[in-house]
Amino acid sequence: MAKTVGYEFKEHLIQKQAKAEAAMLKEFRNGNFTMEKPLIKYNPYFVNDLAAVMLFRTEEETAITVRVLGKAKEGDFYQTFPKGKEHVLPIVGLYSNYENKIEVYPYQKYSQKVVHTIKTPEVAGAKLVEYMETTPEYMQDNVIFLCPAVSDLAIAVDYAGDVRLNFTVPMVWDIKRSPNGNILLGSERLMKMPYFVSGIYEMSPVGKIYKEYRVPHGYHHDQITLPNGDIAALNCDLDNGTVEDMAVIIDKDTGHVKRTIKFSNFIKPGSQKSGSWSDEDWFHCNAIWYDEPSNSLTFSGRHINAMVNIDFDTEELNWIISDPEGWPEEYQQFMFKPIGEGEFDWQYEQHANLITPLGDVMCFDNHHYGSQNPDKYLSANDSFSRGVKYRIDTDKMEIEQLWQYGKERGKEFFSPYICNVLYYNEGHYLTHSGGIAFDGEGNASEQLGPFAKIDDPSVTLESITVETINDEKVLELKVNSNYYRANKFTLYSKDGNNLSLGRGQLLGSLGETPQMDYDIPAEDTGELLPEKHQAHITDEVDMFTFESKFEKGQLVMLLLESEKEIRRYFISTSRGERGAMCTGTFLTDDDRDTRTVVTKEGLDGAYKVKVIVDDKKYDTGITITA
Amino acid sequence: MIKELVKEDFATDLAQGAVLVDFYSKTCGPCKMLSFILKDIDKTYGEKVKIIKVDFEENPDLIEEHDVEGYPTLIMFKDGKELSRKAGLQQKPVIINMIEEAL
Repeated sequence: MAKTVGYEFKEHLIQKQAKAEAAMLKEFRNGNFTMEKPLIKYNPYFVNDLAAVMLFRTEEETAITVRVLGKAKEGDFYQTFPKGKEHVLPIVGLYSNYENKIEVYPYQKYSQKVVHTIKTPEVAGAKLVEYMETTPEYMQDNVIFLCPAVSDLAIAVDYAGDVRLNFTVPMVWDIKRSPNGNILLGSERLMKMPYFVSGIYEMSPVGKIYKEYRVPHGYHHDQITLPNGDIAALNCDLDNGTVEDMAVIIDKDTGHVKRTIKFSNFIKPGSQKSGSWSDEDWFHCNAIWYDEPSNSLTFSGRHINAMVNIDFDTEELNWIISDPEGWPEEYQQFMFKPIGEGEFDWQYEQHANLITPLGDVMCFDNHHYGSQNPDKYLSANDSFSRGVKYRIDTDKMEIEQLWQYGKERGKEFFSPYICNVLYYNEGHYLTHSGGIAFDGEGNASEQLGPFAKIDDPSVTLESITVETINDEKVLELKVNSNYYRANKFTLYSKDGNNLSLGRGQLLGSLGETPQMDYDIPAEDTGELLPEKHQAHITDEVDMFTFESKFEKGQLVMLLLESEKEIRRYFISTSRGERGAMCTGTFLTDDDRDTRTVVTKEGLDGAYKVKVIVDDKKYDTGITITA
Repeated sequence: MIKELVKEDFATDLAQGAVLVDFYSKTCGPCKMLSFILKDIDKTYGEKVKIIKVDFEENPDLIEEHDVEGYPTLIMFKDGKELSRKAGLQQKPVIINMIEEAL
């Protein structure tokens, strides 16, 4: 009989990458690698299996140009790296299951070029693309980067519809390119179901992580870099028992929280309720945007059908873009009156708000339910989604709809959750409808994609990304899965160095996991937690995860017992109603599964892990040290 | 004072003073945990607050009347008027805040 429940220590990716990089550099330094015979390490950072690193020395100090050859000339990706004698070059944009050819030559000495081959395996995301309709002239060396909403992970797609980046780790939420050329996206370290993760990774597309900005109580949905380099990120007001209703300003250097913004300070919970509203998730913030000219923050509250703008310094409410029906009188002064001759629709359960350089406001209008009034809710088959741009006048409190794309496509383009828009220039926009789901009979699904797929394998998931210039479509990408947001950029950054060596940094803090302040009377059995619960503990540097199966309604509590104290963490075995689900990447299909994360903050010394199930206390045989 | 719902007295109970209503289910782990916490809170507040437990499954009319969407749900009333509500298992300080606002 086992003396402990399942246990593993999981290295942080930063640590794992540091070891792999050190081994790679040791091999490089011990060998005689030249441009003709370089050291090539395929996917050395374990994250992108369409990437590699090439290492060699040159006798003369020289800049090196790399050209990753496309299947056609238009598919080439290229970059020139700075002068040096030792060259450690990231290779990105490889094809799946292909003998990739890489040209390498000293800068402006094309006659010295050497061609190397990297054979790649078939990767998971390569077969998801249904079609890409665009031209190489329009796309150039850009890719459309899609971040996950279900179990299919991040991919990037080129002009021809070929996948040129495939993440193997479930990094989630919005991907943004930092001014230094790195990308920012959510970590894979789940802190709280269904999708609150430990923080934000700053990394390069080759897969190297430079920093994890840890976010107390879990990061979700969106972040934005402020003009001074600090990061404004979304998290949760767990102390108040609510989620997705708080933002934090994170110091760019230390990762520590400099300021907390509680949305309940400017919108009273329950003031407006969208069709997906719940007590716990009353705001459901899915986007944060900083506007420098007005020094303001705009938050997209899915569950209040509103985009809410506040002053960055005072946090006073400036305006609300929302259908005014049903809002209490005290908020009517912040609402706009529609004007103009053209068509006008309010947005419902919108995502990804942004403010353009001209001060116009854009978002992806999911138009889920399509009304403030439950009697007028739209069925999925009668629904539409769209990108929309509004012009607002904050003196007259008037609003005009300037542009939309998607309403005309009806249910074919309807996403009841996730999605985004991007602004490139006046008249030039991206509209990403990434949460489309149909049942086996072609009906738009009333359930959100991740749930629908669990319940019915015949459900099909789709994601359609469109770019328009002056209402003319210049790109359409259809992928057979749901994807949270789309972004467009080059895999090689023109502004950054694309790969920096050295160990990444773990910044900030996860916050202390809230304890249950009441004990459950239980008989200490002295026995190991029964095998039927299939308990497993995954230990990490700054937290641990207890996974186990319990029946609905069982009373379960996790205990950490040290010589100095007992800490208690309640484990919910309530299946309850399914709430909003902006990424189902971490969902399991067994509703007895529980997953409890405890951060090591506040812990001191060694703690025995025990579990109370109903009125009996069991041991796990595991000791956690912090 | 904690008591199980007596339907005919409910309107009268709500009408006066601070009343915390706990909509619960017998088959819900968080509800069981919450009942321990409420017993503890009851020791502190005694007669100052009435805590009424309403079985979610057995009282669909009250669930609809008070727009309760799941269990456990706590609703704090003061002289018949709803002051605040919380869905899901709540920590003791959160519940104490709800009560203090009503006293």
